[in-house]
Amino acid sequence: MGRYVIRRLLQMIPVFIGATLLIFLMVNVMGDPIAGLCGDRQCDPATAAQLEKEFGLDKPVWQQYLTYMGNVFTGDFGTAFNGQPVTELMATAFPVTIRLTIIAIVFEIVIGITLGVVTGLRRGRPVDSGVLLVTLVVISVPTFVTGLLLQLLLGVKWGWIKPSVSSDATFGELIVPGLVLASVSLAYVTRLTRTSIAENKRSDYVRTAIAKGLPRRRVVTRHLLRNSLIPVVTFIGTDIGALMGGAIVTERIFNIHGVGFQLYQGILRQNTQTVVGFVTVLVLVFLVANLLVDLLYAVLDPRIRYA
Amino acid sequence: MLLEVHDLHVEFRTRDGIAKAVNGVTYGVDAGETLAVLGESGSGKSVTAQAVMGILDTPPGRITGGRILFQGRDLLTLKEEERRKVRGAEMAMIFQDALSSLNPVLSVGDQLGEMFVVHRGMSRKDARAKAVELMDRVRIPAAKERVRQYPHQFSGGMRQRIMIAMAMALEPALIIADEPTTALDVTVQAQVMELLAELQRELHMGLILITHDLGVVADVADRIAVMYAGRIVESAPVHDIYKAPAHPYTRGLLDSIPRLDQKGQELYAIKGLPPNLMHIPPGCAFHPRCPMAQDVCRTDEPPLYEVEEERGSACHFWRECLHG
Amino acid sequence: MPEPMPPEPLLSGGGRVPEDGAIAATGMGGAMDLATAEGETLERAPAGPDGTGPTDRPRSLWSDAWRDLRRNPVFILSGLVILFLVFVSLWPSVIASGSPLKCDLAKAQEGSQQGAPFGYDGQGCNVYTRTVYGARTSVTVGVLATLGVALFGSVLGGLAGFFGGVWDSVLSRITDIFFAIPVVLGGLVLLSVVTSNTVWPVIGFMVLLGWPQISRIARGSVITAKQNDYVQAARALGASNSRMLLRHIAPNAVAPVIVVATIALGTYIALEATLSYLGVGLKPPTVSWGIDISAASPYIRNAPHALLWPSGALALTVLAFIMLGDAVRDALDPKLR
Repeated sequence: MGRYVIRRLLQMIPVFIGATLLIFLMVNVMGDPIAGLCGDRQCDPATAAQLEKEFGLDKPVWQQYLTYMGNVFTGDFGTAFNGQPVTELMATAFPVTIRLTIIAIVFEIVIGITLGVVTGLRRGRPVDSGVLLVTLVVISVPTFVTGLLLQLLLGVKWGWIKPSVSSDATFGELIVPGLVLASVSLAYVTRLTRTSIAENKRSDYVRTAIAKGLPRRRVVTRHLLRNSLIPVVTFIGTDIGALMGGAIVTERIFNIHGVGFQLYQGILRQNTQTVVGFVTVLVLVFLVANLLVDLLYAVLDPRIRYA
Repeated sequence: MLLEVHDLHVEFRTRDGIAKAVNGVTYGVDAGETLAVLGESGSGKSVTAQAVMGILDTPPGRITGGRILFQGRDLLTLKEEERRKVRGAEMAMIFQDALSSLNPVLSVGDQLGEMFVVHRGMSRKDARAKAVELMDRVRIPAAKERVRQYPHQFSGGMRQRIMIAMAMALEPALIIADEPTTALDVTVQAQVMELLAELQRELHMGLILITHDLGVVADVADRIAVMYAGRIVESAPVHDIYKAPAHPYTRGLLDSIPRLDQKGQELYAIKGLPPNLMHIPPGCAFHPRCPMAQDVCRTDEPPLYEVEEERGSACHFWRECLHG
Repeated sequence: MPEPMPPEPLLSGGGRVPEDGAIAATGMGGAMDLATAEGETLERAPAGPDGTGPTDRPRSLWSDAWRDLRRNPVFILSGLVILFLVFVSLWPSVIASGSPLKCDLAKAQEGSQQGAPFGYDGQGCNVYTRTVYGARTSVTVGVLATLGVALFGSVLGGLAGFFGGVWDSVLSRITDIFFAIPVVLGGLVLLSVVTSNTVWPVIGFMVLLGWPQISRIARGSVITAKQNDYVQAARALGASNSRMLLRHIAPNAVAPVIVVATIALGTYIALEATLSYLGVGLKPPTVSWGIDISAASPYIRNAPHALLWPSGALALTVLAFIMLGDAVRDALDPKLR
């Protein structure tokens, strides 16, 4: 196990470098980092040249990347467009997005798995077809449409929630946005659980469990669920990184000042350090979540032995 | 009789039509007796067993007629909860592929102990001790250590021993073994079969041995029931059948065993294929493949004629078959 | 948000269960998106005509699948919707008169009326006309992006799976890198600096970030097909690499790619709308449902119809492609029969 972890950590390095370099190049080569530094006004050439020197922008890109990464590993993520250190932005933005992600994950687990189990056990019945259709619709309606519609209905028409989230972004305020963020994954979890349950239901070991005279409840919870949920748990695990990176749309609709909001601002103002900084952290979260999921997989399925 | 199956009918409703898997099977087993049920795949031997155990997939499967008497009770009229208590405790089943039939993510100790926890209300600790005891009994070495291991960590023969141990756990009156040695190496087959026979004698259990292997049957069975297209075509004590079969299908099966004294001769094979269960031929289902078939076989379904006491054959020409 | 590879291209392919675990085939290993998951089910299925041509085998996988599909109402319904969409994209003027760019501020936010069954939006543009014309953009983006992704991904993935070795490892690492970047985020960064108002940058971006998904599917199914006995037999009989790949492996490996690509087509359409909603996708005067939805969202209180109609059209289009892919997968997957 130890050797496996080390090997996986080593494998993560090129992926980490590749992904951050890719984003770094996109922002630097395609955009104009100086334009962002002067705020909304146009920079005059002299200031621009001075800024370029100050930020090392006159050096080759790979050198800039190395300098930047060197700084990142000493905890210096640079300065955002408003003069704040990027780390300060992170300190306010990440807790909000983490809360949002937690809510989304809870929805995936509670609603997604429940619906998946119910439909998987009743494959072909009306409940199954109904839920299946709903999941297809949820997958088909883009999240920003789902979000806008829920905002319109719950926030504007019926007044159940405030249409936009306050700067505190408490758990209570984030419930509906969390549901919106989770919606597509929720539908996948339902379908994945359903397929997995229906497949395992026909397996030989479930037949053995029934032949042993176990009560139906025990057959389902101890034998069927335990096996069927392995792929689902791993899906949800890797979804953490995806949800955090994909919260941009949801955060924009509900005006939540989280990671997505800061990234959006950073991109609009072409602030390299904000964008690359946040993306670096997101990529790390994604990679670590994947590693943890792989290790979790070995715990859940004893047939997997990492060497 | 410990178990009596009377005129059992099972069909499967599929998208393409209704498959008649079992069409009026009648057989019985006494305590301490071994009944071998013989037949090709699709002959209905496993489906009958699943109906007896009550583990038929319903739907698509459906029992459309017949009775299953076990220790005098008709199992088909029992409530599901009562039926469940019979399963595992009073009758148990051993499956062909032990690797897929054991739960991959639970230790063998958990799976063995579960029988005692559920049916006997034992604590997990006592159940674990029982599991070790069982593994010892089926002669798995180092049972105390291996009880914590998972099915994939055992060899094929050891896994089948675990299946046997699980079936024996509560000392049931009847065991159904569905091709218990088919998936094993030849050398291991004999050991596993021997173990099964030994435990059966010890516990005086009834044993239904489902197989397509005539070699296994000769050693351990008391009686043989030969199935074809969901019916029993011949039923007889084991030595009678080997001496002189009373059904052309049985004869075909026996002739297709390679024998040392016939070295060099061409091996006999029954011509044709088993029937499609959605379109079973009228009359005797075997007639398209039968070397003795006459016109009557195409129209009249033969009943199970009584050849002698304890012996029946579903062939209009059983006499000719027996003596020719 | 509807990413093109919902819900995001997950998991770092290399070093996963199939490589390191004691079992390989059970590798439901970890998370994967729906399309991938279902594509992988297909890989394990005995697939495809065996290269002797469908005429020799009346009941090949494909003819069986086609027989199934013709009787499947989901397939017929989604097929009809897609045919209608294609028709509308080619000849929008047949069902909508007038130009989608002709707007009259005086009519802003007005509701349904003669000549404008869907009402007018915030700029006084005819919502019905714009919704009809928006189909062309969506279908164009979806189809071209899917073609690009499928071509690029299956060639790269297929070759890597077939030849294995160093190239396979390198490709796996590269796909890992792409999977680690959230799609919408990548789109924002890359497209925010593009000033062109054609559909090409958006399509290019989708191909750039979408190919690893298809590549992984193609690689997996080629590896599975390669292990089939008859392919091994062909190799033993001395078939050349190109002959094996084209005649024996490709026909068997193509089914999962088709299924995943069909489902992905729907998600690309949704992604285009999402990017346009975020202001980095297509730009006016291109008519796009995403742009219209984005433009309508500030008026959501007073003129919800301007938001609902393009949203409905968008959802229906995505749904049709996903359901089509779903139906095709069901038909091609013998395990579910």
